[in-house]
Amino acid sequence: MILEVNNLSVSFGGVRALDLSHFRLEEKELRVVIGPNGAGKSTFMDILCGRTKPRTGEILFDGKSLKGLTEVEIAELGIGRKFQKPSVFPGLTVFENMVLAAKMKKDVLSSLFFKMDTVFTDKIHLVAEKVGLSKALQQIAGSLSHGQKQWLEIAIVVLQDPRLLLIDEPAAGMSDRETEKTGELLLELAKMHSMIVIEHDMHFVRQIANKLISVLVNGKLLMEGSFSEVKNDQRVIDSYLGRANSQLEKL
Amino acid sequence: MSIKPEKEGSGKSGWINLVFILFFAVVLPVGNRLGLFSINTISLWGRYFCFAIAALGIDLIWGYTGILSMCQAFFFCLGGYGMGMYLLLKATAQQGLALPDFMTWNSMTALPAFWHPFHHFIPAFLLSLLVPAFVAFVIGFFIFRSRIKGVYMAIITQALALAMYLLFLRNETKLGGTNGLTNFRSLLGFDLSASSVKIGLYGVSLCMLCLAYIACDKIVHSKFGKILQAIRDSESRVGYTAYRVLHYKLTVFVIAAFLGGLAGMLYVPQTGIITPGRMDVTASVEMLMWVALGGRGKLKGAIIGALLVNCLYSVCTSVFPEGWLFILGLLYVLTVLYFDKGFLGLFATLGRKLKFGAGAGAGRGA
Amino acid sequence: MKTSFQILLCLALCFIGRYRAAAADSAGVYVEQVLYPQQAGARSLAIGRLAVLQEPSVLPFLEAISSSNLYLLDGKAVTLGSRKSESEDVFTIYELYPSHRLLLDGHGQPVLLAASGLKPVEISRIDRLQLGAAAGWLNIFNADAQKRILAYTQLESASDTTLIGVLSIALKSETNADAYRAGRETWLALRLNHPADPPEARALIDSLSANDGDNTTAILRAYAKNGGLQRDVGLYARQKADEMDSQYAWLQRLQNLFSGLSLGSILILISLGLAIVYGLAGIINMAHGEFLMIGAYATYSVQLFFNNVLHVRDSDWFYLTALPLSFIVAGLAGLLLERLVIRRLYAKPLESLLATWGVSLILIQTARSLFGDLTAVKLPGLLAGGWQVTTHLVLPYSRIFIIVLTAGVVLSIYWLLFRTRLGMQIRAVTQNRNMSACLGINTRRVDAITFFIGSGLAGLAGCAMTLIGNVVPDMGQTYIVDSFLVVVTGGVGKLLGTIAAGLGIGVFSKVLEAFFEAVYGKVLILLFIMIFLQFKPRGLFPDKGRIAED
Repeated sequence: MILEVNNLSVSFGGVRALDLSHFRLEEKELRVVIGPNGAGKSTFMDILCGRTKPRTGEILFDGKSLKGLTEVEIAELGIGRKFQKPSVFPGLTVFENMVLAAKMKKDVLSSLFFKMDTVFTDKIHLVAEKVGLSKALQQIAGSLSHGQKQWLEIAIVVLQDPRLLLIDEPAAGMSDRETEKTGELLLELAKMHSMIVIEHDMHFVRQIANKLISVLVNGKLLMEGSFSEVKNDQRVIDSYLGRANSQLEKL
Repeated sequence: MSIKPEKEGSGKSGWINLVFILFFAVVLPVGNRLGLFSINTISLWGRYFCFAIAALGIDLIWGYTGILSMCQAFFFCLGGYGMGMYLLLKATAQQGLALPDFMTWNSMTALPAFWHPFHHFIPAFLLSLLVPAFVAFVIGFFIFRSRIKGVYMAIITQALALAMYLLFLRNETKLGGTNGLTNFRSLLGFDLSASSVKIGLYGVSLCMLCLAYIACDKIVHSKFGKILQAIRDSESRVGYTAYRVLHYKLTVFVIAAFLGGLAGMLYVPQTGIITPGRMDVTASVEMLMWVALGGRGKLKGAIIGALLVNCLYSVCTSVFPEGWLFILGLLYVLTVLYFDKGFLGLFATLGRKLKFGAGAGAGRGA
Repeated sequence: MKTSFQILLCLALCFIGRYRAAAADSAGVYVEQVLYPQQAGARSLAIGRLAVLQEPSVLPFLEAISSSNLYLLDGKAVTLGSRKSESEDVFTIYELYPSHRLLLDGHGQPVLLAASGLKPVEISRIDRLQLGAAAGWLNIFNADAQKRILAYTQLESASDTTLIGVLSIALKSETNADAYRAGRETWLALRLNHPADPPEARALIDSLSANDGDNTTAILRAYAKNGGLQRDVGLYARQKADEMDSQYAWLQRLQNLFSGLSLGSILILISLGLAIVYGLAGIINMAHGEFLMIGAYATYSVQLFFNNVLHVRDSDWFYLTALPLSFIVAGLAGLLLERLVIRRLYAKPLESLLATWGVSLILIQTARSLFGDLTAVKLPGLLAGGWQVTTHLVLPYSRIFIIVLTAGVVLSIYWLLFRTRLGMQIRAVTQNRNMSACLGINTRRVDAITFFIGSGLAGLAGCAMTLIGNVVPDMGQTYIVDSFLVVVTGGVGKLLGTIAAGLGIGVFSKVLEAFFEAVYGKVLILLFIMIFLQFKPRGLFPDKGRIAED
């Protein structure tokens, strides 16, 4: 059991954005979280990575409470986050992006006197290979295509070598080919990391959901089950009736 | 040190550096010997070098880290006042007086306690560097800790600059009030009015500028420097990548203040006066402008900007004193609107268009 | 011959004991003698007699002699009262004898005449010297109320008990309320300092405290210090003085609060524009303070226009014209700035900060070249003076006006933003520019209007500023840092926060200034704001939810 969440709630301006009574994630599990817009999926991740402070509730990561920890401390514990909107360092090269992300001592002095070595370079090249960015290493990250930025961000998160990966809509804005590639990438990563993935695209969900899917609606956990269970659940279908609209909005 | 080997243009930029150093280290002093440049011109450039050192600090914090600090002139003055206090105490001792003139006028009977360390050069020297750094540390800690950034940071530091300026204007601060500190005579036994000493100070300033440049260059090309740029571009991502942003910001803020203090300390013996006027709100904004005009995010840009704007200032105020503010104001507007990347960026663009080395333009600009 | 006979007759009459009535009669004769001396020496003799008689009804006449301010108008003795205004050389006229009164014209308005239109009565110095000791206190009969107040106050430390009688006479004919209070204070003080039995002393102390003059506490404390008539009377005086002092302290606090309110109002006027513009365009407009300056100079120019072109003097119309005009002129300047510079800098706060700083330098230098270093706008008569709440609490009308103006502006802005279609569009563009544009809102038009309003508000603040300060080219810079602090404390782009923070900082500054020097007050305010931002880094009213994080 790597993650256990109890009675988690948060509200914005009187609107309860999330009210999660119970959530568990096993070691090396890949969990897909789906739900209509505004269901609280991203808010859930925001809380897990320390971006938003919960009003009530308890989060245990590997048995340790995350209460009162800052983003940095949570990141140090081993939770990595990929945001919905690609969040990389646009002014640096892809290579530099990856160097900064890689797991090492990250205090000021170590950074000032950091020296590159071949072991390190090899590690970066390996990850770059995985996400298909080996040819773009010297490119400025800001000039990458949207899909490449998504992959770069995944690479950044992976290089931190976290125990739990939080991946928010990795396939958003990608072509079908890119989406499929991303799916393969995630499945490979899932062999070594625990992972929570938020996704809208049901084809993609079908590709990556190897165990459980959690459905969030209006901040509450509607159900958990395998892909086919979720797909055929009447409540899920009802709550997704507005989904066509929500997809439109995103365009 | 560098996390990525410099490939492009390193040879060319080496040439520019050499031309720059040769011109200022050889041509100007020799020209002075031959009677081409007056000693005042030399001394003026010596002061510009001090401004350039402060500008390097501003480029680190603003150009690279994206923190708009509007109180850098305050750190400059802290360093300047430190040196000024030492010089004034020496001058007072030479005149055989017990207290500096302004203290006598304010009917003070004893030297305030905080003046005592400034009797000797070494503590005065250290304090001039450490006080700005320490003050920056305290201010920076509280500002960065509460995640004040962007516009908030700019305004808070500006208000701070104003408050400190007003504080230094008061006689109760015991630093000479509006008139500041002046009537210096000698530094370490050298007569400040002597030409050779002026050339010497000029040389020291040039050396310090070169050293500061080398140090800053090392910093921005280290991983630390890359993290600074990462903070500028995407602060939250830096946090999620497990870097303690507060520490990094604080470090660079302290370095910038340190450079400001160093610059102020070198500046005072060359001008012979330090007043609160050097640290008013406008002064800090002007310092930012040097960097913006030269090209922020490039260390050479900061140096070129500081030298150029001050050079322009000297020329304009002697040719048409009324018009200087118009020119400065226009420069602000035009720089921001049309050449966001400053002179360096402008020359780079021109160079690309004319197939003309960007370096030649930069060299001429200096 | 006839005159000397009359004098003799009068003297004779005095001697046979009908002193009082005769004195009154004879005073008239002497006055006549002073004005129209029939023979050499008669004037000196008459003044000498009047000085001895000290008949109450002639005291104002003697004062006019003493201060060389005696004139003839239609054969009557008159004196000049107060000057009508600083710029005009005409005075009110008082008749001196037999009755002491202000001369009015047919419409009940005071007669106003220039000194040159009156025939002065020259009295030699020697003759004036005959007034002797009385010259010291004759000033309490001066026609000018301010001089009377001064004279009353000077007599407070006198020890001559005969003055009590003179003061009673003066108070009987006293017309000015402030002068009456000062005179009565002296009268009571003199009586208190001379033997009276304890109950009377207590009654006098009560009267003094009820009279509430300017120096009452000092008088009471001095009395208590000297021991008083009895120990407990002295203590009673001190207790009264303490009571009054604590009351004054409260009044002082009220006064500070009021000054703070008006300072806060000005800050709000300036900051509102800043906040709206920042919210809409993500612009930190450092030239905003210069719109204040433009508004002030617009007011000044309107005044010049009224004085020099229309030749309308002493009219409040110039101010009423300037009020909307300063709004429009500053608004247009803002519009121009938006078109030329700011349009290219949307959502780049830090860049815009530098560019607009440059603009502000240009504007300041332009104003300096056009208008010079220091000018001032004349306070319109309507707003001169103040509302006297109690004797020691006067609230200047100009500051009241500023507060009312601000309240009006705030209400209008709220109405505009939350009750009109335009306001809805402004709010929509503020929240999501692209989406608003998609929905068919002409964002450029909204930007232009918002800039016009924001800058106009600063212009209005400038117009208001002319009421309480000089007009100088860099007046905007004085306020810009403070108003930025207001915007930051309130939460950038938040109206309610801006208002709360503006009032808070204004009141706080003034209250702190009462305890510390202004500079330390400023440093303390900054310190408070820094501490405040430690807990609320996004101001008083931050955005909530996910949009806040971007």
